[in-house]
Amino acid sequence: MLITLEETVALINEGKILHIAADDTLLRQLPKGKWIGGTTPYFIGEEGGIQTKDKLFVSEIDYAEEIRIAVYGKYNIFQIVEECYDNGLTLLIMPFGSDVATKYAKEAPDVEELLMHPTIGWISGADLEAGGEMRVYDGSSGESYDDKAVVMYIRLPQGKAAMINMINIFTDDKTDPVIRFNENELNVTKCTVNGQEVNFAEYIAKKGIDPSMPLVADYNGSYINTSIKAVTDGMVALYAPVFKNIEYRFAVPVEDYATEFKNRIDAAAARNPVFSCNCILNYLHGNLNGKKIPPYTGPVTFGEVAYQMLNQTLVYCEIVG
Amino acid sequence: MEAGVREKVEKILKGELKYTSANLAFNMLISKMQKKVQANPDNMEACMKEMEEFLAKYTIVAKVDLANIAAL
Repeated sequence: MLITLEETVALINEGKILHIAADDTLLRQLPKGKWIGGTTPYFIGEEGGIQTKDKLFVSEIDYAEEIRIAVYGKYNIFQIVEECYDNGLTLLIMPFGSDVATKYAKEAPDVEELLMHPTIGWISGADLEAGGEMRVYDGSSGESYDDKAVVMYIRLPQGKAAMINMINIFTDDKTDPVIRFNENELNVTKCTVNGQEVNFAEYIAKKGIDPSMPLVADYNGSYINTSIKAVTDGMVALYAPVFKNIEYRFAVPVEDYATEFKNRIDAAAARNPVFSCNCILNYLHGNLNGKKIPPYTGPVTFGEVAYQMLNQTLVYCEIVG
Repeated sequence: MEAGVREKVEKILKGELKYTSANLAFNMLISKMQKKVQANPDNMEACMKEMEEFLAKYTIVAKVDLANIAAL
């Protein structure tokens, strides 16, 4: 729910367990308590998509039996698979462009045991036009960071489980060329297309591919996007890394982004997500400002985590059982 | 895991049978295990162990998948 600074302070002082997303100017005014937070001025509220630096998006974690909050850097971020509750949910926030976010994006898919522990989260950011601080907050210490990840481990009651899912409007066409990469990388020069080595930037230009279309990889029917940040001087910069040994294709172009996004939301039929976040690219291309997408509310983010780093995706968690 | 279901899960990992779950983590795990088996068929036993551990840990969500796989 989107609420005022005073209302948020009251909830913290009542001892509520909270996840908070807001502009840095608001987060820095909050008292210590059982909360974690990250910066963004974009939200999907109950009344629709909104950009505001006057309110905070606050989710009460009232389904927790117990919580712990921890902070990690790039050298120990994957301790999350060791330190989480056995029956729990790990809620993770990392700053955009930070080393820890890059490390997580590149290595998470290869981390043993990660899929055994429900892990959801987002990348904090700032106003796309005015800029601003891109930080995460550990409410228990009152500290904030632009180079560390903050994690809330949430223990669930016996008989309950966290189920993480996503909504992605993109798919591939299996008759399109298969693109492969040699390394797990964020900045790409070479790739192979149907086995032939090419310069990736030149290939995009030569084929007239719209770089607003992400690469998609088919993970057994779950499509995972890798969005292109920029194509310059023979190099392609990506918002999330591509991985070696994964087959990619460019996404099938979407004619009406907003309608397709709405259709996917209806099809997902989630009942009561306890957490969701949605990519800034969906917010912009899907014209979500002022639009409601029930039951999904939450921060609009600069990268999403559903076990691994995702792009151009809405991720959500339901508690089942 | 029942023998019949186990046989079908092995076929899924070999790519001989197609199954897509409503559970993102299960799809990611199937995809990861398929690649390991494809890289070296000797990995099958270890991959099946990982699949069984996953399904045993999340019985609440796994029972739907196990029923669906049994019906393939």
